[in-house]
Amino acid sequence: MLRIKKVFIALVVCISLSILAVSPAHGQFKELRILHLNDFHGFAAGKRLIGSDEMQGGIACLAWLADNLRKEKPTLLLAAGDMIQGNPFANLFQGKPVIEIMNKMGFDAMCVGNHEFDFGKDVLRERITEATFPVLGANVKGMPGLKPYIIKEPGGLKVAVIGVVTEDTPFATHPANVEGLTFLSPAATVEEYVRKLRDSVDIIIVLSHLGYNNDMLLASRVKGIDIIVGGHSHTRTLKHMLIGNTVIVQAWEYGMVLGVLDVVVQSGKIVEVKSRLEEIKPSQMKKREDIAQIVEQYGRQVDALMGRIIGKALVDLDGENVRTRETNLGDLITDIMRQQSNSQIALTNGGGIRASIGKGNITLNDIYTALPFDNYIVAMKLTGREIKEVLEHGVSGVGLKEGRFLQVSGLSFTYDPKMPQGLRVMDVSVGGAKMDIDATYTVCTNDFLAAGGDGYRTFREAMKESQDFSITANTIKSDKITYNDSGRPLKDVVMDYIREKKRITATVEGRIKEVSCNEGVCKQPGNPSAPRYDR
Amino acid sequence: MKVFVNNREILLLPGMTVKHALIGAGLLDEAMAGKKVFDEWGNELGLDGALTEGNSIYVK
Repeated sequence: MLRIKKVFIALVVCISLSILAVSPAHGQFKELRILHLNDFHGFAAGKRLIGSDEMQGGIACLAWLADNLRKEKPTLLLAAGDMIQGNPFANLFQGKPVIEIMNKMGFDAMCVGNHEFDFGKDVLRERITEATFPVLGANVKGMPGLKPYIIKEPGGLKVAVIGVVTEDTPFATHPANVEGLTFLSPAATVEEYVRKLRDSVDIIIVLSHLGYNNDMLLASRVKGIDIIVGGHSHTRTLKHMLIGNTVIVQAWEYGMVLGVLDVVVQSGKIVEVKSRLEEIKPSQMKKREDIAQIVEQYGRQVDALMGRIIGKALVDLDGENVRTRETNLGDLITDIMRQQSNSQIALTNGGGIRASIGKGNITLNDIYTALPFDNYIVAMKLTGREIKEVLEHGVSGVGLKEGRFLQVSGLSFTYDPKMPQGLRVMDVSVGGAKMDIDATYTVCTNDFLAAGGDGYRTFREAMKESQDFSITANTIKSDKITYNDSGRPLKDVVMDYIREKKRITATVEGRIKEVSCNEGVCKQPGNPSAPRYDR
Repeated sequence: MKVFVNNREILLLPGMTVKHALIGAGLLDEAMAGKKVFDEWGNELGLDGALTEGNSIYVK
């Protein structure tokens, strides 16, 4: 009996030793530093802080700091998505400079964000090929080059990094950009990989482009995640969040801070956590010179491209009078919007057009000056009644030259500014036929107006009143929205149109006519009288 | 998606961000003038930050 007991104990010891031999870092205290960045959006030269003259960020300074912090302990440098798209530095080269910089900095991994898809699958595939670090997207099926996870061994610690992106991605970019791709549930996907990897690594990191709230939900749903390094919600987590045993961090936006998470791991468990965000203050920091050179080199190219001629205006394009009357530039821009979104009607606020484009050569700078905002096109179905309401709001502040005055395409109307607000618009025609107040039309506008900017409530109210309005997995399910490309600013759409057409001309077509009505007869200055249309 | 800005309900389209929620609430100008936006845990948010259904944000 005693011999059997001894043999049994010996067997247990042997099995335990063999387990310890394959299980890394068992029993020892091991340090790991995670440096993290998210939602950089190509702001390589930094960004002016809102409401201040102070500059913050700058990837050359951030790289210098990252190098110094790396020297102190075993480190992983991670990026949580939305790195390659967002401002001219990135967009004019479809994200290439950002990957070049990330390669130089020696990133260990990056997960894709929704905006990584904004240049289309072919461009993303190129960027993934150029990257010397793995690009992760475990819940994206059909995208060549993406890996679900990687395993790294900093300081002898075996670490799995799983990457996931928001499954809302197809609803926030042009459908062509994600055609043939499937975005699976991040939680189910992570659960599957945690189950697969848990016993073979010391810790599991999820590199997430889901947003802070979804990171918390993920941590509460999927057990076995040690750390979530997040992005998407641009959250400035001054201190890490702990959900169960999962540490959650996120490093704000645009490289204005570098996230630093220090953990001590023992027997596959995090036993100590410290987190902070290091502010990137270019006036107080050194730069990594090789990175600064890349930023300057592409910066010079951006300047050159901004001044490059992309087309020729055969007439002056009027961006001055867009708050009080139809202009040829307003007509041109709304025509382009209507064509791009395949809508019947386009409406944009005059306040979104900020400068004229003179007759002669057109440069990119001209487009960016005329359209300085990062507005994008959205389109939805509205009834004739709702369109009339929008038009009425558009002319309600015309006397004050307010920005809500609309430039239009696909429809025409007259209005009498002397009539009471809400009763000014008449003779609305769509595609040359009288607008049916009960019919449905596809209408595109910009995201500013769709969100309720300049006092436009109709677009949001229309969504609310939709019979099929529902929310599943954080996404509006509605056949009301017909176009929604948040990844492509209107100015880029206009730029591409001018590049393609080369010679641009536009005339005021009489889409918006101001009239003066008296006892049912309306007159336009200089024009014959016209019968009044029923409201 | 429905979010709340200073406890006021705002309806947004997919892909819309903190900035759009502030536009809907008429508070974008205040944020542009230097007021900050926070989530319900007191974390500061960037104007281009993504929102999810039911998020509550505050302009202070």
